[in-house]
Amino acid sequence: MAITLAESEALSAIGLEETVDISSAAELKALLVKALGAGQEVRVSLEGAAYLDVTAIQLLWAAEREARSAGVGFALEGPIPERVSAALLDAGFDRFPVPECAR
Amino acid sequence: MASNADQFKQSFREEAREILVDLEAALLELNENAGDRELVGRVFRGLHTIKGSGAMFGFEDLATFTHNLETAFDDVRNGRLEINSELIDLTLAALDQIKAMLEEGGGGAALADPAACAEILTKVRRLTGVTASEPAGEKASPKTAAATAGPVREWSIHFAPGPDLMLNGTNPLLLLRELRQLGGLSVKASMAAVPPLAELDPERCYVAWEMVLATAASRDAIRDVFIFVEDHCELSIELAAGSEVDPAANAAAADATARALDEQRAQGGGRRTYDKPDNATSLRVPAAKLDQFVDLVGELVTVQARLSELAARRDDPEIAEVSEEIERLTSSLRENSMNIRMLPIRATFEKFRRLVHDLARDLGKDVELTIEGADTELDKTVIDQLSDPLMHLIRNSMDHGIEPRDRRAARGKRPTATIHLSARHSGASVLIGVSDDGAGIDAEAVRSRAVEKGLVAGDAQLTESETFALLFEPGFSTAKQVTDVSGRGVGMDVVRQRVDSLRGTIDVASVPGTGTSVTLRLPLTLAIIDGLLVSVGDACFVLPLANTLECIELTRADVERANGKHVANVRGVIVPYIRLREHFNIRTPRPEIEQIMLVETEGGRYGFVVDRVLGDCQTVIKNLGRFYRHVQVVSGATILGNGTVALILDPERLAADAVRLGRQGFHGHTAGHPVVGGASRMGHGGKRESSQTNAA
Repeated sequence: MAITLAESEALSAIGLEETVDISSAAELKALLVKALGAGQEVRVSLEGAAYLDVTAIQLLWAAEREARSAGVGFALEGPIPERVSAALLDAGFDRFPVPECAR
Repeated sequence: MASNADQFKQSFREEAREILVDLEAALLELNENAGDRELVGRVFRGLHTIKGSGAMFGFEDLATFTHNLETAFDDVRNGRLEINSELIDLTLAALDQIKAMLEEGGGGAALADPAACAEILTKVRRLTGVTASEPAGEKASPKTAAATAGPVREWSIHFAPGPDLMLNGTNPLLLLRELRQLGGLSVKASMAAVPPLAELDPERCYVAWEMVLATAASRDAIRDVFIFVEDHCELSIELAAGSEVDPAANAAAADATARALDEQRAQGGGRRTYDKPDNATSLRVPAAKLDQFVDLVGELVTVQARLSELAARRDDPEIAEVSEEIERLTSSLRENSMNIRMLPIRATFEKFRRLVHDLARDLGKDVELTIEGADTELDKTVIDQLSDPLMHLIRNSMDHGIEPRDRRAARGKRPTATIHLSARHSGASVLIGVSDDGAGIDAEAVRSRAVEKGLVAGDAQLTESETFALLFEPGFSTAKQVTDVSGRGVGMDVVRQRVDSLRGTIDVASVPGTGTSVTLRLPLTLAIIDGLLVSVGDACFVLPLANTLECIELTRADVERANGKHVANVRGVIVPYIRLREHFNIRTPRPEIEQIMLVETEGGRYGFVVDRVLGDCQTVIKNLGRFYRHVQVVSGATILGNGTVALILDPERLAADAVRLGRQGFHGHTAGHPVVGGASRMGHGGKRESSQTNAA
């Protein structure tokens, strides 16, 4: 598991890699809070992710909801790995609960 | 630091290992009592728990593999399959693979053998009648087959995990996956309960699921998917509107599963049988933490000894009072911490049932294992190191001791041989026995082989005990041929090395034609003991209190009355004594009145003559290290309150050593060891009573 946050002047970029589950949930929450606190657009990349459990999904969903109500952009960047999207469908999420960036 | 997921996996591994031990015991019992339904239920529940928990904690290969075995025992339980030795042997072999899969999950290399797993599964499927075309990797419960027998109906399921569900290590998504095995599942996740990010507990699941399941499974079979989490979630399972119940059809499908479930619940089945027997009164603690705790108590005991020393030196009543209170508390703490480490030897003994079963099959012998004193407790460290020596002793007995069936019959012996494992306390030691009713040891053959190998001279006069001791020499074997089981002369050497490292002794007794008995005498603990501090000249020594009987005075007049012989008359009983001053070549003048510490050993009562008895002390045993590993009469060292080191004597070995050195008796014996060390004398006053001795 690796969670990274890269902040530039206009963008906070979060990268999720490998398995992101309950063991990294607290870390992910802290990064999301920090990224949203910066008040600039947040992009999340799942490109290197292998598995997201329900704690990660609900954190991303809650962050996106918060960003939307604050008028801050929050979107997925890059492709969602097939394994991740298939697992999400199995778990009852019709689509990833965070919008994707327009490409 | 390990993540929560790692901790859960580790907990599962520990739990699964315990279940595997129980499963092995149950299978071996089942081998003897094939009709015992309770045992069948016990095996089924164990497999079910390993499978269910394994799937939840991400051990999917393990869960899949176990599922096939569970199916077989479900068939046995429902009368579709009969227990036979093939199924038991296959299941035992499968348990070995499951054990390996558990270790793999720990990050090690691939340990399970895929070819062996495949072969086991093929054979199990042949027994259960499951065809090869059926999915081998199916993860459904064994109830699937029964569940799909009836009409398909739609069920509305609401599942909302409770606050602590994920903290228990459960992954709700895996439950959905398991549910999907029962039929067509449509799932809708609800995020309505997810709070604002700032208030969100990242380790709690707020998502709930509304599902519709099209299945022939009964309500109970569906509920069974949630059996481990029922107490930690909101769960409702209702027939969907328009999905009619046909009681007759339903009964056929649900009957088997409901019966199984009821039975399981009635017997306290499912996971609860294993992991929640007495939640309120027991706690699982990693052994490393316990070791650390005992180490800290050891440090505390050493510091407390310094405080006592200081209090005695200052002669300050206030410090003395605090010191005594600390001493009392430390003593209680030490006793408690040592008790925590004490474990019954049962689990170690029980696991040899499997070894005996397998070896008996391989060697074509009928052997039963009997166990006595399984509740005898000893230090975990000792128990951990006992498995290897016991295994070698049992293998040796099975291979060389116990005769083939025809020879037993010719000798008029019972066709079924017996290996007997026993444990009992004896003072500060525990005696572990491995005996058999086999052919016994041919002492003359041992002697001849030893002469042949140059271990003893051809004309050497050896006692029986000395002859048998040769069996434990490296590479020694009287076996005419090396087998897969033993005969290389390695095993007995391992036994001796391990017992030596535990500061134990080995005693062998054998009667030709009747059997052999090997007794290991091991210390109860390797950490902290109650000792008696004594001094000789400037050196201090500790004698284990559990061995000491009493202290008597020895005057010069007593010595003269005994005509210089090293014996004392203790209330009419003649007791030989060993002068530690002479034994350790301590060159200081001896006092007018010396003290004889009477100790009880396996070889009888002996006296150890010292200058002064300084008092009781809690003794933290420190290893002397490799440099002193050949000094057998010393079992370790301890740090005294004044910072100096005192050697801890091993009365058994000291007495044996003295006997060996002075074969003519103890009198006049001065062939002692070089000085092995000692400590400056402490200022403790002796606390034990002294009594006068009568000269012999």
